[in-house]
Amino acid sequence: MLEVTTDWYLTLAAILFSIGFFGMMIRKNALIMFMCIELMLNAVNLTFIAASKHFGQIDGQIAVFFVLVVAAAEVVVGLAIIVSIFRKQSSASVDVLNVSRG
Amino acid sequence: MDFLFILPIFLPLLTAIFLFLNRKIFNELVTNFFTLNSALLSFAISFFAFVTFALDKFKPISITLYQWTRTPDITIGFTLDGLSGVMLLLVTGLSFVIQLFSTSYMEKDEKHSNYFVYFNFFVFSMLLLVMSSNFLVMFFGWELVGLSSYLLISFWSQKPAAAKAGNKAFVINRIGDFGFLIGLMIILNTFNTFDFHTVMQSSTNVSENTITTISLFLLLGAFGKSAQFPLFSWLPDAMEGPTPASALIHAATMVTAGVFMLVRISPMLQHSATASIVIISFGLLTALIAAFSAMNQYDIKKVLAYSTISQLGFMFIAIGAGAYVAAIFHLVTHAFFKALLFLGAGAVIHSMHHEQDMRKMGGLRKRMPITAGMMGIGTLAISGIPPLAGFWSKDEILASVFAKAGMANELVFSIMYYLFWALTLGAALLTAFYMGRHWLLIFEKDNGIDHSEVQEAPKAMTRPLILLGIFSIFIGFINTPFFHGLEKVLHETLENVEVTHLPEGIALVILAVLSIGAGFTGLIIAFLIFGFQLHKRINLGKFKLESPINLVKDLSSNVLYLNKFGNVFFVSGMKNFSRKVAVVVDGLIIDGSVNFISSAFGKTSKITSATQTGLVRNYVVYFGLFLILLISLFIFTPLVAQ
Repeated sequence: MLEVTTDWYLTLAAILFSIGFFGMMIRKNALIMFMCIELMLNAVNLTFIAASKHFGQIDGQIAVFFVLVVAAAEVVVGLAIIVSIFRKQSSASVDVLNVSRG
Repeated sequence: MDFLFILPIFLPLLTAIFLFLNRKIFNELVTNFFTLNSALLSFAISFFAFVTFALDKFKPISITLYQWTRTPDITIGFTLDGLSGVMLLLVTGLSFVIQLFSTSYMEKDEKHSNYFVYFNFFVFSMLLLVMSSNFLVMFFGWELVGLSSYLLISFWSQKPAAAKAGNKAFVINRIGDFGFLIGLMIILNTFNTFDFHTVMQSSTNVSENTITTISLFLLLGAFGKSAQFPLFSWLPDAMEGPTPASALIHAATMVTAGVFMLVRISPMLQHSATASIVIISFGLLTALIAAFSAMNQYDIKKVLAYSTISQLGFMFIAIGAGAYVAAIFHLVTHAFFKALLFLGAGAVIHSMHHEQDMRKMGGLRKRMPITAGMMGIGTLAISGIPPLAGFWSKDEILASVFAKAGMANELVFSIMYYLFWALTLGAALLTAFYMGRHWLLIFEKDNGIDHSEVQEAPKAMTRPLILLGIFSIFIGFINTPFFHGLEKVLHETLENVEVTHLPEGIALVILAVLSIGAGFTGLIIAFLIFGFQLHKRINLGKFKLESPINLVKDLSSNVLYLNKFGNVFFVSGMKNFSRKVAVVVDGLIIDGSVNFISSAFGKTSKITSATQTGLVRNYVVYFGLFLILLISLFIFTPLVAQ
């Protein structure tokens, strides 16, 4: 029987973070990118919980609650922005939004 | 009552302010009323103060109005001693006479009230200068005199020539003022005070080099204000101003400031042999150049302008020879006959409807007998014909230079001073010649022009002329070899000064005869040429006199080409130099460095702004790269702690 150690959790978190990160880099649909951000946030959450379990301390789990609350608030604002972008140009592609180009 | 002499200083200022505030309300009559009464009151108070001062055995009175700082000792103060007392009487007295003349001369001028505002301000500035008890207040007066002369010279500023002349006077005076200012700084640094009395007393403790430096810088200031070579070219141009204002500038105020200042610092000046030599040689040079230049001028006022420069040269000669009393004496007599000549010229210009060219005059004696007579007195006085004023003062200067030659302890100096004396005598001869020519061209020589419409000047003009004429005859008696009046007045001021005394006995008589001879010779030559037309009556045969005469005429009317020389060397040279500076320093260095900095910023921002693509994906990449960098820092940094 294989024992599930902390390393497994950390590896999973790293894989999830990388998926999210590369998704951010290669996709241009704003909604997908948003989901990638969520994926990265949750990968970090997983790391926190794994570490909390590993050291037997509760600090990491408290941090996760904060992250969840902030992420929820961020989703509200972010989705509203995406909707207004979509209304304006009938596409959720972020490549069109390059007005801040130097 | 001792401090009564403060009033005449500030009365002209109050009048100027009062007239300026009410310039739109007052008509000419009211303006005249106020300015004349103020001037008369000013003179009356000055006279009263001077009499009180004289009864008190000429003991100097000083008053400090305000103590600015104690170390260094800087105050705002005034003093009444022999020197400033004489100047006070002179300035207020002539100011009244000239204003009386001006009321008629400036009648129906558009800026009538402005003229009297400037005039009163001018008088105030000059009084500030002469009455001050320290160098600082003197400097204030010195600068204000420059300003108000600028206002008066360019009074008719709608004429381009007048505006230009005003600028020229101001700029050239600035050169002198620059020297004066540096002199003041050295004085403050050396003596730690500006007070005349303290500075003069402690000047014996200072090395001769310091005294010479201070004297030479102050001398530059005196050269500028008193129009000495090489800073004299502003004075003939200053003739663009109204004629009575010229009379004021030339007679009582402004140009006498330099002479006054040098006499004021005479206790210091006497310790510097170098400064004395510089003063006497520049004074002599000025006297000769100006007298020579006056010979072939045709502008009625320009002749008088060069004559003023020349006479100021005489005063500088006197100072250089150590005859300070003679310098002030000549200043006083010159003030009267030069004011007379200028006002006379003003009357002629007025009657000729602003014609100033003497070639268009001639034969005016029958039309304007009073003016002709009074200007004749002025001409005789300046030529040094006894017993008129000019004789006494000019003779005293000549005799002093001669005496100085006798006092010199080395043969070289002795010969040099005898040479100076001879040249001064020559300048006196030239003076008599050009003044004789001046009078004859205006009043005597028949040019075939009909002047039957010309009328004698109005009474408001002839009365001041008569008054000044009387003074020009008798003012010389204040200081004769038989009665040393002025010397007694100035005794306290020049207490520790070694004044060059006149030779005595038969030598003095011979010198006087020579000086009278010079005056008469000049006048007779002038009469032979311009009255008797000698050169047309005699036949010289083959000998051609025309070409040398024309050369002299040409040199004289062009002031020995000194103005052109100055123009080429200083004005054009400076212009070219500043153009080069504009290209090299301004264009290459200053503009170049500023442009380099801005272009460097522009180029680098071009490069860095390329990274700002506006694509979110690229920002994510940067973010990721920095994350990796951060993590690798954590990993590869050896743990120092623990």
